[in-house]
Formats: sequence, C-alpha cells, structure tokens
Amino acid sequence: MQRAAHTALYDWSQTVSPMIRQCLKSRGPLQLSSRAYSVVPPPRDSEEKEMLDRILRVDHAGEYGANRIYAGQMAVLGRTRTGPLIQHMWDQEKKHLEKFNEILAENRVRPTALLPLWNVAGFLLGASTAMLGKEGAMACTVAVEESISEHYNSQIRALMEKDPERYTELLQVIKEFRDDEMEHHDTGLEHEAESLPGYWLLKNAIQLGCKAAIYVSQRV
Amino acid sequence: MAALLRGVRAGRALRGLAGVVSAPAARKPQCSGLRRGFHCAALRLQDESKSDKPSSSSSTTYHEHYQAHSAEQDTAAASHGDSASDPAAEEAARPNTSYQDQSGEQNEEYETEEQLQARILNAALEFVPQHGWSMEAIAAGAETLGLSSASTGMFYNGGGDLVLHFIAQCNSQLTDILAEQHKEIQLGQAEAKKTADFLRDAIETRLRMYIPYIETWPQAMSLLLLPHNIPDSLKHLSTLVDDIWYYAGDRSTDMNWYTKRAALTGIFNTTELVMVQDSSPDFQDTWNFLDNRIQDVTNMATTAKQMQSTGETVVQGLMGAAVTLKNLTGMNQRR
Repeated sequence: MQRAAHTALYDWSQTVSPMIRQCLKSRGPLQLSSRAYSVVPPPRDSEEKEMLDRILRVDHAGEYGANRIYAGQMAVLGRTRTGPLIQHMWDQEKKHLEKFNEILAENRVRPTALLPLWNVAGFLLGASTAMLGKEGAMACTVAVEESISEHYNSQIRALMEKDPERYTELLQVIKEFRDDEMEHHDTGLEHEAESLPGYWLLKNAIQLGCKAAIYVSQRV
Repeated sequence: MAALLRGVRAGRALRGLAGVVSAPAARKPQCSGLRRGFHCAALRLQDESKSDKPSSSSSTTYHEHYQAHSAEQDTAAASHGDSASDPAAEEAARPNTSYQDQSGEQNEEYETEEQLQARILNAALEFVPQHGWSMEAIAAGAETLGLSSASTGMFYNGGGDLVLHFIAQCNSQLTDILAEQHKEIQLGQAEAKKTADFLRDAIETRLRMYIPYIETWPQAMSLLLLPHNIPDSLKHLSTLVDDIWYYAGDRSTDMNWYTKRAALTGIFNTTELVMVQDSSPDFQDTWNFLDNRIQDVTNMATTAKQMQSTGETVVQGLMGAAVTLKNLTGMNQRR
C-alpha cells in the first residue's frame, strides 16, 4: 500500500517536476511590472510599508532558507530512493522563492542582510539531517514545515485582522504557500519522520532555530 | 515613551484637538510636537492672514482617521524624512490653499505646520550664500515671507533643519527627473542607457544641484555629520541610493542589493568631497573623478563575476576528480 503510494508519487513527480521546471525556465528575464495588478497594495503610510516590508522580508528569507535546506538534503540523499520526493518538494519551494523575489522587487522591499547566513545554515541543516538517513531528512522537513506553516498562519491572522479586503491577493498567495508547506509537512510524516530516534529532540531544536531565524530576519 | 504620552495628553486637553495620538517612532520633531503646536499658535496670532485653529494633526502622526486626504502628505512626509517635501514644496508655491476634509472641521484655507516650515526653509535657501546654513538664513527667509524672525524658534535644529530640508528637496527632484526619464523610456521616446552611464548621469544631476551652494557646502556637510543629524542624513542618503538603483533597473533580492547600494554610496560621498574642493571650470575634474570611480566599480563587478565562474568551474573539476576517485576505489555504489 505504501509502496503503491510511493510509486504513484514517484510517477507523478516525474511528470510534474519537469513541467514545473519548464514553467520556471520559460519565464525568461524578470520584467518590470509585467502584470496588470500587484499582489501587494501600495502602502498608504510608512507604518503600513514597515509592516508589509517585514512580512515580505521574513517570508522571502524563509523560502530562501527552505530552498537551501532541500538543496542540502538532495546533496546527501539525491541518489537514493527518496531523491525524487525531495526534488519534488524542492521544486515547489523554488517556485515559492521565485514568487517572493518578484514581490520584493516590485515593492522595493529590502531583502534581509542575513541571507548569506541562511544560505550556509540551511544547507548545513539539510545535509546534516539527511546524513541521519531518510528519516532524519523527513524529520527536518516536518519540523521546518511546521514552523513555516505556523508562521504563515500568524501572518494570515494579522492581515485578516487589519483589513482582509485590502490584502486579498497577498492573503491568497500566503494561503496557497501555507497549504503547500502543510502538504510537505504531511509528506514528511507519511515517510516515517517520527520513527527517527531522538525525533522529539531534533524537531524542537530545529523549531527553536526557525523561530529565532524568523525573529531576526524580520528586523535585520 | 510614557513622558511622551503624558505630554500629548496634556497637549490634547489644552488644545482641544481630537486627533493627536502618540506615534511609535520617537523622532525628535514628534517629541516636540506639543511645543511646536504652541509656537504654531503664537505665529498664527502674529500673522492674521492665517486661521486660528492649530492644524498639525496630520503632520505629526500616522495613526490618523483622516487618512484619505492626508495619505499623500503622510507618505511624502514619511519617505522623505523630517519635513514634508513633495506636497509641501508644491503647497509652498500656493500657500493657504490646502482643503482638508477633517471630520468636525469645515473646509477652510489653512496650512499645516510642516507646510509652513517648508515654505520658510525654501525662502531661507536664497540667503544661504550670504549667511551660511544657519538660523540667520532661516530668519531672513521668514522675513521675506512676512513672518517675524522669531519664527525661527520653530526650528530646533537650526542650520541642520535647513540642510536636511534642502537634501530632501534635492532627492525628490532627482526622483522626479528619473521617473520622467523612466516614463519616456517605457513610452519608447528615449533609449535606455547602460547602467554605468545611467548612474553617472544620475549622480551628476544630483551633485549639480549643489552648485549654487557650493561655497557653503562644506559647512552643510559638517552639519550633517553632527551626531543628532546622522540618522536623518543617513536615511536621506539611503533613500537616494535606493532610488537611483531602482531606476537603473536593479531588482536584485540577494546580497547584491547591499553591495550595489554600498558601492554607489561610496561613489556618491567621495565625488561630493572632490566637488567641494574642485576649482576646474564647470567642475570638470569632479565629473572625471566620477567617471573613473564608476569605471572602477564596473570593473570590480566584472572581476567578481569572472571569479565566481572560475570558482564554479574549479569546484566542478574537483567534484569530477572526487567522483573518479570514488569510482576507482569502488565507493560509489548505489545504496
């Protein structure tokens, strides 16, 4: 049953990921405001700009970090059975990062200065947990995706509290990404993340790190 | 923060204004909002052509109910630092005609305090060659507007206020010029410039705005370096550099964002320094210096790119060697 699901997922990822890669490639060079509407409404005052900047900055940093984590996992487990699964999740994260790059550029948001740090830290986290085996990689995925989903949820709550009408498109984007992250979380659980010895410890350590990263990226 | 709240509450009770709420950013002009309000009222008593009602509500905070009309002012005030430059500069040309739809108040001609300050500072600029960047220039400017020279009491930072206002004005002028050029390019009426040329032209345009005041500019620069002026001057500088790069087409969202802006800041500051001691006709030496610096940065960028691609090639070579080694020793089995 699990094997069937596995092969189904594998087959599906084989068809979907080239498609995704195709879509990514055919975008071409980034155009200046090529769409008729913008995801983020132009801010009315500096306080709103500050709030939106923080939200977008930390989301961008999060997707960037997630990218690097999956890259680290692929570097270790890329040629094993879980390779295609991790590749599929990585491709979705790449799509998210692409979207946030676009939004940041359009809205002239400063990216966090700690990007090089997240670059290295993410890769190391992904690679080191992957060295614990497939369960380790899945446990890392579960921990990170849970943190990110929680974080997106709190952003959604904050935006809904402020003005759901005004931020409709932004909310849509964040909700979509949150759903993707939840899916990754569930995938991780399905693939025996919890069977890792020391799962609870690893999960909490990673989540603590994520919380710290989120706090810092909002400000720096 | 608590003292600020107490002062504001007292001010509210005294002035009977419903709209003043303490702002989270404890910047100097806002901390002294209460005193400014009194000065404002004092000025109004002197100047009979203005209305009696104090009206600095929309200028001091952002948590306002009246956001619809003051949105532009607030945005401009927020993005251009301490004094409202864009709408205020325009308002300066037609004084006393800001119709603001505040609930509970009727439409009347009055001016916010920031608009008044902007008008005075604009008038003061023509006295700068004579008096330098100082209170005397501001007093002379106020007098040309028909105000008493005691209105300089509004400006706690003296010459610093004048310099910061001037810089904000220059920045917004530059942004307008760049936006105009950008529009022309998008409409197809002009050719897009290469990045190096664009940067050079933008910085040259911006520095040329200093030419009328070049004799006194060293004084202005030293004013900007005073500790209490540094946050504001850095903010203006970073806005300037960000704007120039944005219109130059930079849309990077990684460390390049920082390196590009740092490089341009360096170029701008050093060129400014060269300019103040340049005595060549039409500052030709300065523009040559600028050309060379931009060339340096371009070369550095090219070198960095080359190094990166070389590095990548080397890494690939090493990976290939490692894989070969693993194959030879039989370590590269599929798990």
